[in-house]
Amino acid sequence: MAGRNVRGPASALTDYLRSTGITPTTIARRVATQTPAQQTEAGPSTSRGAAAEGHNSDAEEGYHSDNLDEPESPPKKQKKTAKTAVSKASASKSKSKKKKKDEDSEEEDPYTELSRSLWTNVPKPAVGSFENCAKCEKQFTMTKYTMASSTGTGYLCHPCAKASGTDPFKKAAAPRKRKTPADKRTVVHIEKRGFPSLVTICIDVIARHIDDVEAFGDIGALNMEAISKALSKNRRLTPDNAPLFYGAENTTLSMYDATNLTPDAFVALGNLNPNLTTLRLDFCGPLNDTVIASWTNALPNLVSLDLFGPFLIREAAWIAFLQSHPNMEAFLITQSPRFSLVCLETLVENSKGTLRRLRLREVGKLCDEWLGPIGELSEVTYLDFAEPEGEASLTDDEVVNLLEAVGANLTHLDLSGHAALSDAVLELGIAPHAHALTSLSLMHMPFLTDAGVAAFFGDFPTKLTHLDLSRNPELGSAALAAIASHSGKSLQSLNINGWKDVGGEELNALADEVRGTSLQRLDVGWCRAMDDFVVKKLLEGCRALAEVRVWGCNRVEGKWGETRRGVKIHGIETAVY
Amino acid sequence: MTMADVEMTKAASDSDWVRVTSDDGYSFLVRRKVANASETMRDMLDTAVGNYLEGIERTCPVQQRGVIVEKLLEYMSFKSYYEGAGAKEEVPVQEFMDRVPPELVLELLLAADYQNM
Repeated sequence: MAGRNVRGPASALTDYLRSTGITPTTIARRVATQTPAQQTEAGPSTSRGAAAEGHNSDAEEGYHSDNLDEPESPPKKQKKTAKTAVSKASASKSKSKKKKKDEDSEEEDPYTELSRSLWTNVPKPAVGSFENCAKCEKQFTMTKYTMASSTGTGYLCHPCAKASGTDPFKKAAAPRKRKTPADKRTVVHIEKRGFPSLVTICIDVIARHIDDVEAFGDIGALNMEAISKALSKNRRLTPDNAPLFYGAENTTLSMYDATNLTPDAFVALGNLNPNLTTLRLDFCGPLNDTVIASWTNALPNLVSLDLFGPFLIREAAWIAFLQSHPNMEAFLITQSPRFSLVCLETLVENSKGTLRRLRLREVGKLCDEWLGPIGELSEVTYLDFAEPEGEASLTDDEVVNLLEAVGANLTHLDLSGHAALSDAVLELGIAPHAHALTSLSLMHMPFLTDAGVAAFFGDFPTKLTHLDLSRNPELGSAALAAIASHSGKSLQSLNINGWKDVGGEELNALADEVRGTSLQRLDVGWCRAMDDFVVKKLLEGCRALAEVRVWGCNRVEGKWGETRRGVKIHGIETAVY
Repeated sequence: MTMADVEMTKAASDSDWVRVTSDDGYSFLVRRKVANASETMRDMLDTAVGNYLEGIERTCPVQQRGVIVEKLLEYMSFKSYYEGAGAKEEVPVQEFMDRVPPELVLELLLAADYQNM
């Protein structure tokens, strides 16, 4: 065996057995040593001969090449052959009986099986007969509950059985039931029945009476907005209740969760609100080509479109829609992988002189070539190109060129997530060209440097109201000091989340600088140096403050006394809620 | 609802009475357990967390008409009665829906949204 190196395909089991040292050779050896012993047990002359006759000398060799994977089979075969041999020879009957018994008992569940000694010994004496206890040797009467002693030599009287710690009256445990594979597959879901909230009940009542909108009475436009929000919050805006918000006189329509609307419902929206000028749809996934095609005619006055997630609309449909709606003032889309350069060119061509706000956020195909057409938008004040797909990024030169072209009127710029952009955008693009800017978002731009940002804020002429420079861990003390002295008095929201190395002194100086200003929101998450004193100073100094985020600031412990009502402080690690 | 003397004891228990008032001068007395069905009211009345005037006076003003407040309280009693009943008893939601008149439903929806229930 060892000399032969050529092996046929082997099963995983064979491999495993070989690795643990069980090989055909060892099995053969074991069988060879077992066989004579069994023969002496089973009876003298016959078995070997019978086996040789019936099974092609399996028993002699102990293994067969077909059976190498099943190490158990040779002994089993052996058993069988022995059995047949024995029955043929009808020799030593009691032995063969015992063997049979053994085989039967193997089939029983080992957990519920009676103890072997009890099984094999003489049967239990009849109930009511007298026995001597195996332990205390007193005489007692056998009952149904009498137990065998642990040594297996006799029976125990009731007191001894109890004293041994076993309960003689205990019923045998029910046999463990094995789950059928089908049962195993079916997952048991836990159904949690929540109590229906009054809001959902009201929504159901609305759905029930939706055909009779007059029945609800008139409760005013402001309330309709609130109702729309309440429906969206519960994700219950459906084709059934959406008509509640429709009307020929509507000029503005906002739906905050349109997930459950069908394409037909969007078409109906266009037909039932012919005078819309402003339309905002969040989570408008089902919006497709058919809908956009119907809107090309149905919404002639539309000048402002804000869509979150219009990912089904194809190039051709965009182009047709944009051609039919010249003079758009706001075109704001987020998450639209099919919006292409040709679509953008159509938009620019038709709305060049009017478009003020453009958002192409999370638009997959956005790249440097797009900035050329955008540069023609002379009136644009709001640009958002944030979060390009994957590693894609605009480059410094192109952005600088764009800002040179359209920067003059720009009040809002968002270039978040364009990882290839660097300080050059600030230095050569924004600083010389975008002097009207009040809101700037440059989140996650790893090439920005502390010195570069500090230099920019050192001599930028306009004060900012909104600034987001989060997720830029390279920025630190110098940048914050420059920001505080530059825009500290004008900022309404500031996000420096992730500036891990910013110093405590600068944070303190910021808190001093914003004293008495209208700062509302501040995110200083993961700024390690942030502490309770700075928060206290902010709380005391800024009456307009509404929200401070301190996630990951582990020196903020909330020990500044009372937080003013109306201010939310999020993320105190040690806070107990 | 009837008037009852409200004892000014500090300990808040499920069975003591709280007052809920409407915009137009109606006032309703309900068990605290019922008031707690509204998350907003529970927070207002909670003396352990915030020391709010509502909690001290045990009075919740609701900026709605009396008829709306009445419906709110009807739902809150309905909820506090059936919520603990367990899965055995079927909650008669349909019957409750039948009792909500369509001309009130929009106002009720806004009120319910505010009450967080």
